[in-house]
Amino acid sequence: MENEGRRSFLQIATACIGGLLSLAAGIPLIGFAISPAWKKGESQWVDLGLVDRLKNSRFKKVNYTFTAKDGWVKATKKRSVYVTDIGNGEWDVFSRTCSHLGCLVRWNESQEAFLCPCHGAVFDKNGAVVAGPPPEPLQKLEVKVESGVLYVKEA
Amino acid sequence: MKQFLKDRLPLDGMMDHLRKPLPKHINLLFSLGSLAMFLLILQAVTGAFLALFYSPSPDHAHNAVQYISGEVPFGSFVRGLHHWGASAMVIIVFLHILRVVLYGSYKAPRELTWVVGVLLFIVTLGFGFTGYLLPWDEKAYWATVVGIEISSTAPVLGDVVAKILRGGTEVGAVTLSRFYALHTIWLPWLAFGLVGVHLFLVRYYGSSGLPKNTDEEMKTGKPFYPDQVFEDVVGILILFVVLACAALFAHVPLEDVADPTNANYDPRPEWYFLFLFQLLKYFQGPFEILGTFVIPTVGMLLLLFLPFLDRSERKVLWKRPIALTVTSVSVIAIVGLTILGATAPKLETTEETPPTEQGQQVAPPDTQTEQTDETEEDVFDFQLTEEEIENATEVDEESQ
Repeated sequence: MENEGRRSFLQIATACIGGLLSLAAGIPLIGFAISPAWKKGESQWVDLGLVDRLKNSRFKKVNYTFTAKDGWVKATKKRSVYVTDIGNGEWDVFSRTCSHLGCLVRWNESQEAFLCPCHGAVFDKNGAVVAGPPPEPLQKLEVKVESGVLYVKEA
Repeated sequence: MKQFLKDRLPLDGMMDHLRKPLPKHINLLFSLGSLAMFLLILQAVTGAFLALFYSPSPDHAHNAVQYISGEVPFGSFVRGLHHWGASAMVIIVFLHILRVVLYGSYKAPRELTWVVGVLLFIVTLGFGFTGYLLPWDEKAYWATVVGIEISSTAPVLGDVVAKILRGGTEVGAVTLSRFYALHTIWLPWLAFGLVGVHLFLVRYYGSSGLPKNTDEEMKTGKPFYPDQVFEDVVGILILFVVLACAALFAHVPLEDVADPTNANYDPRPEWYFLFLFQLLKYFQGPFEILGTFVIPTVGMLLLLFLPFLDRSERKVLWKRPIALTVTSVSVIAIVGLTILGATAPKLETTEETPPTEQGQQVAPPDTQTEQTDETEEDVFDFQLTEEEIENATEVDEESQ
């Protein structure tokens, strides 16, 4: 009887030590692995070029690069947008990233629409969904003009 | 030496166990499990050798794969075996699952064997998904972008899961590093652990045999060793010859290095994910989640818990009308969607109006019938240098 009591104590103590070790090692390890979940992207203004050179643009494809941290790397990131001069110093800059699953859309002049090569999404010239699976419109990026240079907000 | 081992290990008991008779009438389909295990070992071995020359960083990965294929002696063959072995593994594991469904082998008492087997199937798909990012070519990049975006559509934790997979907010250096670790360390550990449990359960319960086997027939077939093992080895030899021929004579694709701005690229996943790629086209707007999350998740859960859902008597598939219907519809749907996905036309965009040097569009030509993708000339890069921005700011300040 005494032995049984001692053994059940040993069983519980072993389980407790095992659990404690698992928690002590497991919490930091899991935190280490999933830490990117809390990481927020840093936003910055990136220049697209002189306003004079982009004047009267209509869905002009413009590539640009910017530097951002990618883990331990300070990487040069590449992006591509569609720029439209809508007059009175206002600009429409559409992201080319499809709001469905991230493929790059292409502007089709004859259809006056953005077409996605992946799952058949179609957006009209205002970025609204016309056909296909996307649940949201094409993203219009925030822009500003400073000293004659057009900037886009890279989030 | 033999005596030395005999004195120290229960060799006789092990041999007796291996010589235990299998059920009567079992056929070639019962070798599929052994073929799957061979492929797992082949992938592990070829992958371990490929890792000798591979570097998991966006700056080097593509060059490393090019180097392996083009310059390392036997590199093209080793990469070919690994590449075609991956496809073969998906096919063999799929056929193995179908064999088990056909004969109802998942039924009691082998439910756990089935559950572990389905987990191994999920791990196999995980190997495929993490593996094809590693060459860091266009297909690798875009298929991963889309694949991770699919996971982000899951309710509640979707975004969190996507960020954890990417290691941040977009596919980049951390993603490649993570996928390499998952592909070469995490998933192999998991796979071999699950295979160990699967094999233990298979040997513990014995082969399921055919539904028609009587109790007597279950114990009086040919011995596992050497009869069945020999048949398995012949099957493995044939499979290896096929893979070796593919590695020697079939081209292993490596596309251009990943370019996040290349809108001319039509992203397509590996053939074994084409059914999902095609499925996503049919669910629009608020129903998107049905294609990205609900159907794949429910399908996988039904597969996982099949033995607990189908408690009917064990019979061959064509004598189980519900199971026959569900299996047939599933297989036809997967094969049909795969064919539709593979043959789906690629997007062609009307040639856009060529821009002038000032960045102004000129009028479109009268006859515009040719369909073409955008060219380098269509894309502008007007970005200024830091010096030019400073100059522009100074001029602006002076004018004020």
